[in-house]
Amino acid sequence: MGRTFGIDLGTTFSLVAFTDPATNQPECIPGPYGTTLCPSVVSVDPDGSVVAGEAAQRRLLTQPERTIYSVKRLMGRGAADIQEELKLFPFRIDADSQNVVRVRLGDKVFTPPEVSAFILRELKSWAEDHFKEPVERAVITVPAYFNDAQRQATKDAGRLAGLEVLRLVNEPTAAALAYGLHEKQRGLVAVYDFGGGTFDISILKLISTGEGDIYQVLSTCGDTHLGGDDIDNALQAVAREEILKRFSLDIARHAEARQELRKALIRVKHELSAVETTALRFQLPSGDIYAREFTRAEYESLIRPIIGRTMGPVKQALADAGLKPGQMDEVVLVGGSTRIPLVRRMVEEFFGRKPHCELNPDEVVALGAAVQANILERGVSNMLLLDVTPLSLGIETMGGAFSKIIPRNSTIPASAQELFTTGVDSQTGIDIHVLQGERELAKDCRSLARFQLKVPPMPAGMARVEVKFLIDANGILQVAARDLHTSEQAGVEVQPSYGLNDTEIERMLEESIEYAEQDFTERQFIEARTEGESILHATAKALAEEIAQEAPVEERRNIDAAISLLRAAMMGTDYKLIRARVDALNQATMPLAERMMNRALSTALEGKRLEEV
Amino acid sequence: MSDAPTKTAVPLTCWSCSAVAESPLFCPACRRIQPLPPGTDYFILFDLPRKLRIDPADVERRFHQLSWKLHPDNFVRATDFERYLSLERSSVLNDAYRTLRDPISRVEYLLGQENMRKEGQSKQQAPPELLEEVFELNESLDELRTARQSGGDGEEMAALRKRLEAAGKHFEEKLAEVDRELDLTFGEWDAALDAGADAEARGTLMARMNDILNRRSYIRNLVANVQKELAEA
Repeated sequence: MGRTFGIDLGTTFSLVAFTDPATNQPECIPGPYGTTLCPSVVSVDPDGSVVAGEAAQRRLLTQPERTIYSVKRLMGRGAADIQEELKLFPFRIDADSQNVVRVRLGDKVFTPPEVSAFILRELKSWAEDHFKEPVERAVITVPAYFNDAQRQATKDAGRLAGLEVLRLVNEPTAAALAYGLHEKQRGLVAVYDFGGGTFDISILKLISTGEGDIYQVLSTCGDTHLGGDDIDNALQAVAREEILKRFSLDIARHAEARQELRKALIRVKHELSAVETTALRFQLPSGDIYAREFTRAEYESLIRPIIGRTMGPVKQALADAGLKPGQMDEVVLVGGSTRIPLVRRMVEEFFGRKPHCELNPDEVVALGAAVQANILERGVSNMLLLDVTPLSLGIETMGGAFSKIIPRNSTIPASAQELFTTGVDSQTGIDIHVLQGERELAKDCRSLARFQLKVPPMPAGMARVEVKFLIDANGILQVAARDLHTSEQAGVEVQPSYGLNDTEIERMLEESIEYAEQDFTERQFIEARTEGESILHATAKALAEEIAQEAPVEERRNIDAAISLLRAAMMGTDYKLIRARVDALNQATMPLAERMMNRALSTALEGKRLEEV
Repeated sequence: MSDAPTKTAVPLTCWSCSAVAESPLFCPACRRIQPLPPGTDYFILFDLPRKLRIDPADVERRFHQLSWKLHPDNFVRATDFERYLSLERSSVLNDAYRTLRDPISRVEYLLGQENMRKEGQSKQQAPPELLEEVFELNESLDELRTARQSGGDGEEMAALRKRLEAAGKHFEEKLAEVDRELDLTFGEWDAALDAGADAEARGTLMARMNDILNRRSYIRNLVANVQKELAEA
C-alpha cells in the first residue's frame, strides 16, 4: 500500500502534504514552481485540454472566459442558491443548471466537482513527481460548516480525480491536529479559521490518556460563504464605483481588465497587512489611469463589518459548548485572512488572550490532513480524532415542520432510528424528506435528499418501517430502512437534492479519462525506457572506442551481461526493473567510463605548459 | 431487575471464527470486532449501574476508552463488514454518551427503557400551583405583543419589558427549583437501587420523576417563550 496524502482543497489555494515516517512530522510538497501553494484555478484550452494551478492562474488575465477561480463556492449548490454569488463572481453558469450548478469554460460545461477534480489531479501529479510513485489515496479537508451536499461534492471530486478518499476532515480540526503535534497543547482550544471563501470556528478539548492524545471537538459553527473573497469584493466595489464616477467606465463590462483590477486590489489587501498606506495605479481599458492611495484606517473601516460577521458563529460555538471566551486555554489562527491585523486584534480582544499563529496559516490545514492520513494509514495510532456534525439533521413532518433527529454538534458517527407508517389504506409508499438546519420550518432548512419507502398494501397505520439515519465519520448521511413485519431491508433509493447521483458520477468518470493525464505507471515506464535506450546507445558507442579494447575480460563480461539484462527488462513493462538494470549497467561501465575520462583529461592537457594548468 | 448490568444469557459466537466471544467488543480468538449484542442498552454499554447520579468525568473516561477501540479510524484497512460494524458500534457509542452525560436525557432514556416515560396531557397543562403566575405571564406577553404591534411608546414598552423580564427571571428560578427536586429524586432512586428496592417502590419513584419531567418541560417552554419575546421586542 502506497502513501496516503493529505490535501487541503481550498477556495483560493490548494496544497498537498504527507507525513515523513522517519520523523513523524508532516510536510507540504512543493510543485514545479517551487511553491507549496497551488492556485485553485482551472482553465480550458480551445482544443479542450485542461490546465490547473499556476498556469491557469496566469490565464485568468488573458483568457478569463475560459478560466474559473473560487469554484469551492459552488460545491454542493443548486442554481437557485447561487444568485448572490453571481453578482460578485464572474461565474458563467450554464442555462441548464438545476440542482447541480454547471459552469461554462469556453465551449465546455463542467460541474463543480469536475472542476475541483482538475485541481486535485494537479496536486496528485505534484506528489507523484515528488515520490516517483503513483498516488491513490488521500484525506481531503472541508470547511467544518460544510453541509452534506458540499461534503459529498468534495468526495465526488476526489473520485473523479482517481483518488480513494479515505476521509474528509474538517479544516479547523486538521489545524488543531497540526498544532497539537507541534506545540503539544492540552486543554480547551478555539480554532478560528478564516480562509479565502469560508469561515469556521471549532472548540476542541485536547486530552492526554494512557492510550494517547484525544482531540475531541465540542462544537463547531461557521459560514461557508464568508472569507477573503468578500474583502476583495468590497475593495472591488469601491474601485468600480470610483472608476464609474471619474471615468464613466464600468469595469465589470471588461472581463480582462476586471481580473487585472482584482489582482491589483488583492495586492493592496496584502500590503495593508504590513504597511499603513499603499498606492494603486491602474491603467483602464480607455487608457486613463485610476490612481488612489489606500490607508489602513480606511481599509479597516471597510472590512470591519465583514470580520464582524465571524463573531456570531464564534459566540454560537462557545454557547453550544457551554463555555465562555475566557475559559479557552489556547486560541489558534488558521487561514490566509488571519494575516489581517484587524482580525488578530478582534480575536484577541474577544478571547482576552494572544492567539497562536506560529504555523504558516496557509499550510497548517494541509499539514493536519497529512497527520490524519498517517493515522488512517497505520490503522491504530496514538492519536484519536472525535469530530462533530455541524448541522442538525431532521425530517419534514406534517405541515412542513422540521423535526430534528440528530442534533448539531453530535459526535460522529451518529445515528438515529425513526419509525414510519402509512396514513391511508393500501398506501404502498411513504415519502421521506431529509434536511439539515436549525430552523423550525422545513422550507428554511437545507434539503438533503428525498426517498420513498416501499411497503406492501395494508390498512392505514399497519405498516412499520424503521429508518436508520447514520452520519458517518466524514459527516455524510447514509440511510437504511427495515420493514419490521418481515425484518427485511426495505428498498431505499435516495435522490440527492443537490448532488450527482451514481449514474452521473459513472458517466463523468468515463468522460474524465479523456482529461486524465497519462497514467502514472505508463509515464514512468516511458521515462525508464527512454533512459534505458540512451544508456544502451552511449555504452555501444563507448565499446566501439579503442580504449575499450584494453578492458579486462572480466569487466567486458560484466558489461555484456548488464546490457542483455537491461534489454530483456525493456521488453517488459516493469519500470522499476528497467531502472534497476539501468543502474546495474551504469555500475558495470564505471571503470571504463573512468578510464575514458582520464584519457580525455590527459589529452586535453597535452601540449599545455605547466603554468597554464 | 438489579442494579448490576444484565448480561445476555445466550453465549455469543464470533461471526468470523465461531469462537465463543465473551468480550462484547472483540473476539478473544481472532480479535475481530463483534456486533453489538442484542439487548445492550446504554448503561450496559458503559458498564454502569442504572443509577442517575453519574460522575461526568467517569463517563467521559469510559467513553474515551471505548472510542479508542471502536472508532472507524482503526478500521480503514479492514473488510467491508468490519468497517460497517465499527461505524455502527461507534455511532451507538456516541449516541449513548450524548444521552448519558446530560441528566435530563439520561433520566428520560431510563424511563423510556422501563416504559415509564409518559408525556400525556400534562405537557400542555399548567401545573396547578403555577396557574396564577402563568396567567399573569401570558397577560404580560400579550400586552407586550399588542404594544409592539401598535408601535407603543418607549416608556410603556420599557415598563412592559421590565415586567416580563421579572416574570422570566421568576420562572428561571422555578426551573432551577425543579432541577434540584429532580436531582434529589435521583439520589432517592440510586439509594433504592442500592437497597434492592422492589418493583413497586421503583415504579413509584419513576412515576414521580416522570411528573417532574413534565412540569420541567412546561416551565422550560415558558422561559423559552419569554426569552424569544424579549429578543424580538
